[in-house]
Amino acid sequence: MSTKRRMCSISLAAAIALVGETSARGQPAMAPVPTECATPGADGQPAVGFPNLVRAMNLRHRIVVLAIGSAVVGAGRPGGGYYRLVERFLESTFKGLDVVLVQRGFSGELARDGAERIRLEVARSSPDMVFWQVGTADAMAGIDPAETQEIVRSTIRWLHEHQIDVALIGLHYTPSLRDDPQYQAMRQAISDVARSEGVLRIRRYEVGETLDRLRRQPSDAIAATDLGSLGDACMAEHLARSLATGLFARRRPVDVDKPGSGAR
Amino acid sequence: MPRSANAVDFWRGVALVEIFVNHIPGNFWEHFTHKTLSQSDSAELFVFLAGWSLKHVVGPPEDPRPTRHLIMRLFLRAGTLYAAHMVIVMAAIALLAISSKLLDNPLLLEWFNASAVFTAPVEAHIGLVFLTYQLGYFDILPLYVVLLFASPFIALMHRHRPSMLLPISAAIWFVCLVGEITFPTWPTEGEWFFDPLCWQFDFVLGFLLARSTGPGPWIRANLVPIRWIALPIVVFAGWARWVGWEVDPTAAPEPHLLFVNDKSFLTPTRIGQFLLLVALASPLWAPLEKHLPTLTRALSLLGRNSLLVFCIGSLLALAAQILRFAIRGGIVSDTLIVACGLGIMFTTAAVADWWERQG
Repeated sequence: MSTKRRMCSISLAAAIALVGETSARGQPAMAPVPTECATPGADGQPAVGFPNLVRAMNLRHRIVVLAIGSAVVGAGRPGGGYYRLVERFLESTFKGLDVVLVQRGFSGELARDGAERIRLEVARSSPDMVFWQVGTADAMAGIDPAETQEIVRSTIRWLHEHQIDVALIGLHYTPSLRDDPQYQAMRQAISDVARSEGVLRIRRYEVGETLDRLRRQPSDAIAATDLGSLGDACMAEHLARSLATGLFARRRPVDVDKPGSGAR
Repeated sequence: MPRSANAVDFWRGVALVEIFVNHIPGNFWEHFTHKTLSQSDSAELFVFLAGWSLKHVVGPPEDPRPTRHLIMRLFLRAGTLYAAHMVIVMAAIALLAISSKLLDNPLLLEWFNASAVFTAPVEAHIGLVFLTYQLGYFDILPLYVVLLFASPFIALMHRHRPSMLLPISAAIWFVCLVGEITFPTWPTEGEWFFDPLCWQFDFVLGFLLARSTGPGPWIRANLVPIRWIALPIVVFAGWARWVGWEVDPTAAPEPHLLFVNDKSFLTPTRIGQFLLLVALASPLWAPLEKHLPTLTRALSLLGRNSLLVFCIGSLLALAAQILRFAIRGGIVSDTLIVACGLGIMFTTAAVADWWERQG
């Protein structure tokens, strides 16, 4: 493991430890964002809330999250894949909260196929929230951005109708695609649909771009780091923090029950 | 000498062409494969015909192949498939790595689920060997390998308890559907794209319907009324697919998988529609052979060299995806790419035939 990656993991672990400590005293708090991930990583706050996540947390002290998109390598990574970091972060931040993560990622899956599978997986695992990595495969396969946007929009609406919150995880960053019109159009399409539907979008591209800029500075130790892995760690960091912030803001007793929840 | 054109090789050739075209997602010609108007696709056909071919290995009821030979032959075939899968996966990883370097784009690795090979190589190689780690679009052969390793047990069960094979296969399929039982992936977190425990049902149905005893003869004797029943259902299913109408899985009764369309678990909707489609399409062979002999001979050529063509086709489809990404073309480039790919597949099959004739 590279020095910087280790630092990132350590800082995240320290953040988790710190949050756990304060939570134990009944006053939840979050540690500062690790330096490497300091770029704004999410769109949507403070307007984005997670009513279904809050409801599940208050009623059951248990939230079920469905992850769709690229397959995630869990083994061989400290603490598992990046979604596991999110899981641990939330469980440490909210004492007594059980976060159930259902991973159903298939790399290379287009939005149209992912959308079909989301509907099925919702029936299978009754999630309170969906993390959807979307756009990269469509952009690589040359799908019309308007077509992908419409699929994402209708899927978000379907999920909201079924009382499920959504976080979109945007396109990956790689320097060679900075000037690729198809890729940038897809990126814009995902950003637009997230904004118009009022859902959280993790700005994976922007995070990657910042990390790449830091890496190009000769004196910076980040130069030796695997950009993809660090980007994933930062993405997890931003995702976890966005969720935690939304949950802190909205945490209150609710009077509406949600039937049929709970992973099987 | 290579065998002459026949219906099974012809339909297998159709499946191979469709798998190749469908494995280049987003290409123009993808809309012209039968999945556009069907709840099932070429994967069901490919696995069904694999089961159908098992009858040739088992031998006819009046002259069955000796048990020891049968078992050895099936395990050897499974081993050959496993080796073929390993070779094309390694070639695919190399192709992705080279393309990633040439195009200066590490996303190519992520796109096809190959990143674990480079970021977690120890775990990824263990996963590759045990088939728990599969590259994107390289997930049919692992299913096929598992089915072939299971095929000696299927053949022996049929030999000694023929009436039990279908109920047992159906029971395993049903239990796995209801219990959502499947194989996990590792080191990537998730599930196999094709659940072998469910897809064995398609394989066993292919085997049983091919036989001259059991349910096959009864179905062949009643094909006309079956086709009359099948026609409106297949038309309705085609219409539903075309307009995008489907049952909301959350509104379906539990267990959900019994009432929705899902490829991974081969749900009843898929296998049922597929079998009805087979009933409707099966009489097409005779007129096609009569009026379009060049087409039937060409597709049969692919079908009788299926493993080689499948392997070449898988790598060509991967190369085609990368090429489409690199050149960002349209209908013209899609047509050229698909035509070149099919041309290479046909040439490969023709060379294999020629080689067999030399031997």
